[in-house]
Amino acid sequence: MRKIKIVTIILAIIAITMISFFGIYVPEQNRMKNKVGDYAYAMDMGGSRKVRLKVSTQTKETIKDADGKIVKDADELTDEQIAEKGYVKEETPYNSDDVKNLENYRISKKMIEKRLKKSGTDNYIVKLDEENGDILIELTENKDTDMFVSNINTTGKYEIVDSETQEVLMNNSDIKTVTSGYGHPSENTEAGVQVYLDIEFNKEGAKKLEDITSKYVEKHHDDSSEEDTTDTEDTTDTEDTEEKTITMKIDDDEIMTTSFEEPIKTGKLRLSIGTQTNDADVLQEYINRASSVSVVLSDGKIPVKYDLYEDEFVLSDINHNDIQMGKYIALGIVGLALIILIIKYKSRGILVAFSYVGYLSMLLLTLRCTNVILSVEGLFGIGVVLILNYMLVNQILKVENIGKAYKDFFVKIIPIIILGIIFCFIKWTPISSFGMVMFWGIALIAIYNIIITNSLLKIKAGKEK
Amino acid sequence: MKKMSTKTKIVALIIAIIIIAGVIVTLTVGLNFDLRYQSAKRIELYLGKQFEIEDIKKMTDDIMQNQEVIIQKVEVYEDSLSILSNDITEEQKSSLIEKINEKYGTDLSADSIEIETIPHTRGRDIIKPYIMPFAIVTIIILIYILIRYRRLGIMVTFFKTILALIVSQVLLLSIIAITRIPIGILTMSMVLTVYVLTLLGIAYNFEKKLDSKNGEEK
Repeated sequence: MRKIKIVTIILAIIAITMISFFGIYVPEQNRMKNKVGDYAYAMDMGGSRKVRLKVSTQTKETIKDADGKIVKDADELTDEQIAEKGYVKEETPYNSDDVKNLENYRISKKMIEKRLKKSGTDNYIVKLDEENGDILIELTENKDTDMFVSNINTTGKYEIVDSETQEVLMNNSDIKTVTSGYGHPSENTEAGVQVYLDIEFNKEGAKKLEDITSKYVEKHHDDSSEEDTTDTEDTTDTEDTEEKTITMKIDDDEIMTTSFEEPIKTGKLRLSIGTQTNDADVLQEYINRASSVSVVLSDGKIPVKYDLYEDEFVLSDINHNDIQMGKYIALGIVGLALIILIIKYKSRGILVAFSYVGYLSMLLLTLRCTNVILSVEGLFGIGVVLILNYMLVNQILKVENIGKAYKDFFVKIIPIIILGIIFCFIKWTPISSFGMVMFWGIALIAIYNIIITNSLLKIKAGKEK
Repeated sequence: MKKMSTKTKIVALIIAIIIIAGVIVTLTVGLNFDLRYQSAKRIELYLGKQFEIEDIKKMTDDIMQNQEVIIQKVEVYEDSLSILSNDITEEQKSSLIEKINEKYGTDLSADSIEIETIPHTRGRDIIKPYIMPFAIVTIIILIYILIRYRRLGIMVTFFKTILALIVSQVLLLSIIAITRIPIGILTMSMVLTVYVLTLLGIAYNFEKKLDSKNGEEK
């Protein structure tokens, strides 16, 4: 009976090992498909998005009137019409010569790093070519990468201008924070969710906003609405004069032209992004858009205008052969360690060796099932938990009392457990990968050995009764 | 004060020698950075068909003798390749393109392929993301250790822990400097592993001392 139990456990271990190393293949659409999920790799092992930003050499065309003021909506005018009206066409570079210097390149690099951090990118490398200002970014490839890359060369220049005169009323220096959010604008939840961009201005900005929102007031055509207005002087003013509007610009692109219903005294401006919707995909798109605008505007503008020169996915140079070689070396070391165990503890050593192989297989399956992202650090983490498991099984064999062995072992690895748990929450893939591997590895050491290793040794010792 | 045993003295002396040698090597020769982190040159070639990195490696070994080269597949179709090396001259680029055209029947022209400059990665940029997590973990673990092993003396436990953590890392970096192991994608993994193993060593050492102290008291 004891032998049958031992053989059953060993067969179960062999089955788990086979599944872990070779997978479970089932026919699907005329081909065999492995039902065991693949490993999720970090950018050092799976590849990364490589983006090169070059200092822009482009120019922008502006049409100015005789007074030197920028003429709005003059894009469609022909050269003859421009000359007729006495306008002048000017080509100005986005980056003037005084902008193109090392200090500004360094600031730009820092700001891109800040944006990457704020947008939640969990692994990236930013390099600066100090000679020409080129910035190279390597970042992890996921569903948000495209969105980030599409905004990466946005300088984040924010302006509120008078729509008519183009006078700059507010700019980046007035912003304190920019956040995005969503909610139901009214009690009617069926109308859908609205995504917002909340801009909070600093003290000076708040004052400017109050002035602007007092001055650029919506023109009321309905007389009855006047009764609710406390400031009658202003109301009369708006009725008598032409409605004045402001234009909000990001990177010189007009985002909206509007006027205000009443002065804003809170120093906060809420902008609606998109329309109200109940469609999850559309909503997600709006949230992403609002989030990327908030990231771009939060830290002021990048002093240098960059053009996206290169954007491609590059596979890791750690290839299949390297991984295979690493695997064989690791298996060789594990095999050697298990042989030592077998020599030292004879038949009990053999059982524990089987159990150990089962642990390794279970660990690899767990890492796949829990979608732990494996980086090189994560691979080293596997090595560390294998060492820890070896120490525990060695202790179990030595003291022949699993309770004592567990107590002795886990008291000693409390600092490592603390490290593993904290690292799991770090938003930097190489560290979190190490932490996750440690966490699952140690949890599995605790559960697996009490179930499998302990059972095998108990059965062997005839204590199962 | 407890005297150091001869064995401990020898170990301490060896560690001190390695650290001094490591510092000297770092200050004089500097650390050996992996090609990925060095300032380098890169060319990218579109083959329009699948290829084996090994085949390209043979060509680069021929043309760029004694030069470190990293070859990577580009884009999901894996029909383009990127070649990175410390330096790629116009002649090397032309020879490589010639060989590739010959092997794959492509029609690549050396004139249309640009040699890009890849700036180096600053050491501080590699380390930066690790500083805060290490600081948080070290502080929390230190608090735990000081509470758990307070009977061994808070100050002694504190200094021994800090000393062990610092010495182990400095020792690792010294070995890296002396052996000229490149600072690359394995470095931070090694730092993490040594950190964890040091914590394990510290805990084993203090538990042993705590046990013997408990034994003495009984």
